[in-house]
Amino acid sequence: MKSLQNLFDRIIQRVNINLRELNYDVTPYIENILPFEKLLKFYAFYGITPHHPLNFVFRQSNLAGSYFLGRCRVSNSILYKSDIRGDELKKEGQVVKYDRFDIKVSQDEAIHIEDSILVKTLVHNFSHDPESLEQFFISNTISAHYANIHGSPTDGSFLGPMATVDLTTMNDCVIGAFAYVQAGEISHLNIDPGTVWVRVPGVCNFLYHHPSERLSRYIFFAPNMQPQGLLMDFVEKHKAAFQKIFEVVNIVPTVEVPQNASVDRFAVVEPKTRIGENVLVAQRAYLQNCWLGKGANAQENCHIINSRLEGNNVTAHGAKIIEADMGENVFVGFNSFLHGRPGSRLTVGKECIVMPHTIIDIDAPLTVPAGHLAWGMINNQADLEANSISLANLSKVNSNFSQGNMVFEGSGAAFVEAFKARIHHILEANGAFYDGVNNKGHAQKNQNISFNTIQPYPEGDLEGVYPTILIQP
Amino acid sequence: MDNYKVKDLMVPISEYATVPKGSTLFQAIAALEKAQEEFTGNQYQHRAILILDNKQQVIGKLSQTDALRALEPKDVDLKEINKLSQYGFSAQLIRQLQTSKRLKKGTPLTELCANAVRLKVEDFMQAPTEGEYVDHETSLDIAIQQLVLGNHLALLVTRNQKIVGILRLTDVFAAVFHAMQECHNVTN
Repeated sequence: MKSLQNLFDRIIQRVNINLRELNYDVTPYIENILPFEKLLKFYAFYGITPHHPLNFVFRQSNLAGSYFLGRCRVSNSILYKSDIRGDELKKEGQVVKYDRFDIKVSQDEAIHIEDSILVKTLVHNFSHDPESLEQFFISNTISAHYANIHGSPTDGSFLGPMATVDLTTMNDCVIGAFAYVQAGEISHLNIDPGTVWVRVPGVCNFLYHHPSERLSRYIFFAPNMQPQGLLMDFVEKHKAAFQKIFEVVNIVPTVEVPQNASVDRFAVVEPKTRIGENVLVAQRAYLQNCWLGKGANAQENCHIINSRLEGNNVTAHGAKIIEADMGENVFVGFNSFLHGRPGSRLTVGKECIVMPHTIIDIDAPLTVPAGHLAWGMINNQADLEANSISLANLSKVNSNFSQGNMVFEGSGAAFVEAFKARIHHILEANGAFYDGVNNKGHAQKNQNISFNTIQPYPEGDLEGVYPTILIQP
Repeated sequence: MDNYKVKDLMVPISEYATVPKGSTLFQAIAALEKAQEEFTGNQYQHRAILILDNKQQVIGKLSQTDALRALEPKDVDLKEINKLSQYGFSAQLIRQLQTSKRLKKGTPLTELCANAVRLKVEDFMQAPTEGEYVDHETSLDIAIQQLVLGNHLALLVTRNQKIVGILRLTDVFAAVFHAMQECHNVTN
């Protein structure tokens, strides 16, 4: 295991060098959260489908429990139970519009992960950096549990547990636990835990800080300890169900899946679940006693329990919906935690946007009215009133406004339109609009994926390190 | 002008406002007032106070801005508002939020002043940086470069690694202006 330990130490040093200006030492945050014994034990796996270019290169890395799809290159890295999903990468010849430029993609895009440690992290989407359209790079970076690196080339950074960086090129930054950043380009920033920041320079800017004391009940991360809190407890509680599906080779479907829908073989589907047409259920999603209407989706690390989704619902990576009724076209952002209770159900009206990293955890019934934007920490009606606004009213804002811990500046209409366009794009990409001929998306393309497994050296100096592997068509 | 050295334009430290470490903000401002009264070198007033340790070494500098900063309420909400600039919010919005927060708190300026005078200078002074020192034998053109590139209002003048004076931007500017005037008179 000598090589693996050396690799681990080397990556930490590289990240610390990058973060020296922020005076941030990642060592106590990563040292005790990576289970070395499991790095030796778990296999990695990759998907084969005719719809995505197959091209994997793995060098001098540990890939325990991780999943790969599309074009991925990993070198000198440790990826533990991470999903590297390259099914939205750009194709050669595609033209990307950026500012006043029409940029032609010169070759198929690939995800390049180098000198990084990713723990239970999701990597998805494609590089939005106009300077690096063919390479979605993640280098000199460490991410903790359930972080999302979504369309965000990243260098020299640290992401805390359940942190998300979305459509943002990031250099030398620290993203605190449960913080969400979508800001185009950032460098040398230390983002506080529980920050939710969406910025389109010159157009609009949304910023919210979760109240730290209340947030610490849900997620808390400090040096020399595992991430703690209700969100971590919730995920841990459902872990056993996943162990079962990773140990079995042939999974017998427990529910009926329409021909135009897709339930990943590595998703957990417990009884009393109904899958509608054009539904997409990604790997590591957990469904129990839920009703997914036409075109709804459940992305990686989602949990949907005792809930009903009427249709065309986006449940983004890591979002959790429990004891809730969601109207049509409701968007629930990354890592949100919507937690009703039996007898105190949560209702979210149609066409609502629940911002990424929102916590709604209630003891009495609560309804988010249709067509509203909701964000932040909501435990009761008063919180909801402080942390929501109708999309119609937000669209009228053209200077600034603040409400509770939230500050907004710029064009409300542009903010709402950008969200709506993105939600439409997600539904389209996921195949929600498939009519039997046109608009195929992930729900239709990901139906028949074959999976192969790969394993590391079982002992010796190279124990835990995967041999150099090239997998090509 | 070409032969000017830093030592020719500096204000000797004995003529500058200084206070020992541990002084209050009020004592520092009083020292500045006193130094102003006694300083007859030229029309330009001192704009900062130097903080000395018990070995008479300069450990910090308190500018007028630093002194005014002490009046800022130590309010967590205001700190958060000030941090908005790192997230790309406009200066106009930040000012608007600050004003609204101040109005809500309603602390009168006299009360803020009364609280501030008891504060220690160490909490507001700026420690000198490497680029703020200049040797007394340095030529004026080099010192000008140092002032401009470092965006400094003054430099600490050293002799044998001991601070002996202050080279103020105002004095350098006055010297340069006089030289320009002389050139102008000669050519016309």
